[in-house]
Amino acid sequence: MQQRETNAVTEAIEIQLKKGVLALCVLALLSRADSYAYEIASKLAKDIDMGEGTIYPLMRRMQSDGLVETYLVESQSGPPRKYYRLTDAGRNSFTAQKAEWAAFTTAVEDILGAAA
Amino acid sequence: MTRAEFLTRLKRGLAGMPASAIADIVADYEAHFADAQAAGRSEAEVAAALGDPERLAREQRAEQGVKRWEEVKNPSAAAGAVFAVLGLGAIDILFLLPLLMGVLGTLFAFFMAAIGVFVGGGFVATVGPFAGPPGGPAVAFLMGIGLMAVATALAAVTTLLTIWLVNGLVWYGRLHYRLLKPAIETQV
Repeated sequence: MQQRETNAVTEAIEIQLKKGVLALCVLALLSRADSYAYEIASKLAKDIDMGEGTIYPLMRRMQSDGLVETYLVESQSGPPRKYYRLTDAGRNSFTAQKAEWAAFTTAVEDILGAAA
Repeated sequence: MTRAEFLTRLKRGLAGMPASAIADIVADYEAHFADAQAAGRSEAEVAAALGDPERLAREQRAEQGVKRWEEVKNPSAAAGAVFAVLGLGAIDILFLLPLLMGVLGTLFAFFMAAIGVFVGGGFVATVGPFAGPPGGPAVAFLMGIGLMAVATALAAVTTLLTIWLVNGLVWYGRLHYRLLKPAIETQV
């Protein structure tokens, strides 16, 4: 019982951690080039282990937070495709989060290094 | 699960949300199936990777309810957020239910008491002075006004407590989102 609770807590923390990192990864991908959801999802699903379905709620949230905006691109096969690009707010948020991430990982690396 | 089945279950789960929001969400997943098919993946494989459509729908609805509460702080948005979070159906949230009902009941009673005291105060202030009260008409009038002020303060404090409670519940509910993993894996 105790063990199960500990596992549940670890899992919850892991989910929260990944969720935070995921938003940062999406910002990073879009800062390099505009992209569409399937492309973003397949890159991230491969590199950091996450469910593909996750990307859609996240993109909706980022869009309503004003970090990304969408535009349609005609495609030769099928309906037009929805592309995402960063807004200025998204770009600022990426810069800030990247710096925060760098500081955080450096601190953790230092601690891990000292413990080894 | 086939693509058609996935989309049907998703739509059923989203029913009740604004039509434009449902159309947007469904279009996203339709495009996902189309792109995956172009990449040579089977419908069953894609549906499995996307996770449980009911779970996706529940979390979309929860987020929608929470968003509305963040924009407008009114009783209907509060109720919407509370029900949406409860709709996530996480077991520990359901355990909280009796406690939550107790607290909500108490807050509701405070509101009712505030309204009662306010009306009572109004009555004392308007009718009291003509009823020949001990201490004279001015005292009755001032007492009535005083009661109304107390009632207003009580209502304000209760409102603040309610907002805190709903915010806390929303925060707790968000910790339960599982969109990061295929929901199928996490169902025991």
